[in-house]
Amino acid sequence: MGRLEEILEEYLTASPARKRDCFNLAVKALKAELAAERFEEAASGLARMVAVDLDYPSARTLIGLRERLQGRVDTTGPSARLAILGGFTTTQLASLIELFLFAAGAKVEILESEYGIFRQDILDPNSPLYRFHPNLVYIAVGRHDLRTLPSLGEDAQGAREWMDTEFSQWAGLWEVLQDRLGCQIIQNNFDPPPWRVLGNYETTHPSSPSRLIQDLNRKLADEAPAHVLVHDVGELAAAAGRWAWGDTRYYFEAKLPCAPELLVDYAHSVASLVLSQLGLGKKCLVTDLDNTLWGGVIGDDGLGGIRLGHGSGEGEAYVEFQRHLKGLQSRGVILAVCSKNSEELAREPFEKHPEMALRLEDISCFVANWEDKAANLRAIARTLDIGLNSLVFVDDNPMERALVRRLAPEVAVPEIPEDPAGFIRALEKHRYFQVTSLAGEDFRRTDFYRANAERREAESAAGSLDEFLGSLRMTAKVAPIDSTNLERCVQLIQRSNQFNLTTRRRASGEVLALVEDSRWVTVAVSLADRFGDHGLISVVLARLEGEVFRIDTWLMSCRVLKRGVERFLLNHLVSEAGKRGAEKLIGEYIPTAKNGLVRDHYSDLGFTRIGEEQDGSSRWELDITGGWTPLPTHIEEMQANG
Amino acid sequence: MDELRAQLQEVFREVFDDEEIALRDEMTGNDIEGWDSLMHLNLIIAVESRFGVKFATSEISNLRNDGENVGSMVSLLAKKLGRG
Repeated sequence: MGRLEEILEEYLTASPARKRDCFNLAVKALKAELAAERFEEAASGLARMVAVDLDYPSARTLIGLRERLQGRVDTTGPSARLAILGGFTTTQLASLIELFLFAAGAKVEILESEYGIFRQDILDPNSPLYRFHPNLVYIAVGRHDLRTLPSLGEDAQGAREWMDTEFSQWAGLWEVLQDRLGCQIIQNNFDPPPWRVLGNYETTHPSSPSRLIQDLNRKLADEAPAHVLVHDVGELAAAAGRWAWGDTRYYFEAKLPCAPELLVDYAHSVASLVLSQLGLGKKCLVTDLDNTLWGGVIGDDGLGGIRLGHGSGEGEAYVEFQRHLKGLQSRGVILAVCSKNSEELAREPFEKHPEMALRLEDISCFVANWEDKAANLRAIARTLDIGLNSLVFVDDNPMERALVRRLAPEVAVPEIPEDPAGFIRALEKHRYFQVTSLAGEDFRRTDFYRANAERREAESAAGSLDEFLGSLRMTAKVAPIDSTNLERCVQLIQRSNQFNLTTRRRASGEVLALVEDSRWVTVAVSLADRFGDHGLISVVLARLEGEVFRIDTWLMSCRVLKRGVERFLLNHLVSEAGKRGAEKLIGEYIPTAKNGLVRDHYSDLGFTRIGEEQDGSSRWELDITGGWTPLPTHIEEMQANG
Repeated sequence: MDELRAQLQEVFREVFDDEEIALRDEMTGNDIEGWDSLMHLNLIIAVESRFGVKFATSEISNLRNDGENVGSMVSLLAKKLGRG
């Protein structure tokens, strides 16, 4: 165990000059694990080697190891069925995508269509695509899959007509997929050719190729429906540099979509979207302070001595990094601090330094002490009610990083350079915090977590829990899922791990299909109290089967635990079931690594157990034929939109 | 040339995941297990990456044609690296 760990750590932290040698050593060590049939060790070691900055041949080597593990290890993570429909050759891309999904702990089955027949596959109801029953379809196309571009002589009107027709053809394919599969779609947008027939004037002339493709990309972004997620290939090309990206030799010879060395980044980008759909994205960034948010050591250099802001280039780089974190925070990433410092000293720059971009109120959990950082990270995850594997840990100190990798391997620990000017790139290339939709709630999330901390203080001051709950003056709104709350509901469906009875992940398209199906009842609950508005926090999907009201999905955001929301919601469900002529409610609990919290959910609510499976899952029944007395709660129902 | 062949052998071993491969000039695609069109592409990409060279579009597939062998790959590499 220890030896493999050391070899891996040496590889992960190797300088560019030593990287190849260390890679070969690590591969050799993994092969030794395989030969000794220590498959679990081999799999977890392999997963740790998979990273976005692998070169293509090295990634191929890891794919080879991955194939040898096929069927030898069991993944417990969320599963998905991904169909990749390619306009170009997707063989290489697909195996790289699979490698990244494997490394992140997802269990994904992939179907690849034959090269270039994605339209036929979508339109033909008897194609392998429909036998595969995917819940995710990736339309992997490039600019060669567009119809012939209009001639340069076309004016703005002609360009618009071309674009409208082009758009409607893609929209037509999405519609067929939505009708037949009700699944989430990932649609590539398009990379303009690197060359410019009109030179600089391409940006101005409405029918120039690069202008047309950029305009089409804009239209895709603006007009694609919620169940179609646009994958920004145009941006991948731009970030890599168009000429480097568009190494056309491999397109001409083998129909590869970009230069081969960029396929790894391309696949990582696609995989990050899939992972986000599966709820495996990261939620919280935990940052060190000294030499990470500012230059120098606050305890030694003092408030006036740390390098931050104007006066030094390095100081400006730290501010820029802070602004980047603040940007992440403002769109819903939780920020936490984990520093070896006295708490008072650690807080001082936040309170007093004029150049700090981050303020104390941006930090949901502030830990400054002398404990080891792995233990502190565990405590932070517990305090915020999120999994350890939702954390990303940023620290300038290689020793701390190594310690956390060893003692808390679930935490993502990116290598960062010594120069703070490189921090943002080093963090961003991992695509930890990919979002596939943004709801209003995201922008307020830190407020929730901070208000929770305050609420905990109030809780201790309020005497009994019952008195406390009464003092919260909670109000709830209950509504069916519709277009206004769909994105937020889907987010909860994809991300909730702990208060989630069945952990059935569904994408927008699938939820939309249920909403339109009259047998299904969808319920979305929003909650507010005197500390603030929590937004939409709970979702139930239930299906009416004759006299049975079957609760397929019941989940809730953990920030409103222990408020009695579930009792309130049960009252509502019983009334809905009664209205529809149901005689009993049936609920289900499927245990996962994370949802032990709700093991007794149904028994606490007065359901009777009617069955238990080998895997620990159980079914529960509540008979309502003899009438029903609503459970007492401290939550007042408000009229929706009232 | 011998040094180049030895370096190329390393790349072959990496790509085909076979430490036993011993390259000889007269070897062709038939002599190495798994050298199909997909692996050929992986091989060419790896050779470009490890030697820092670029093959012309025609060379990418020509290296698999009849009459081509490991020897022709070595001499093409030598030419590109200016060691011919």
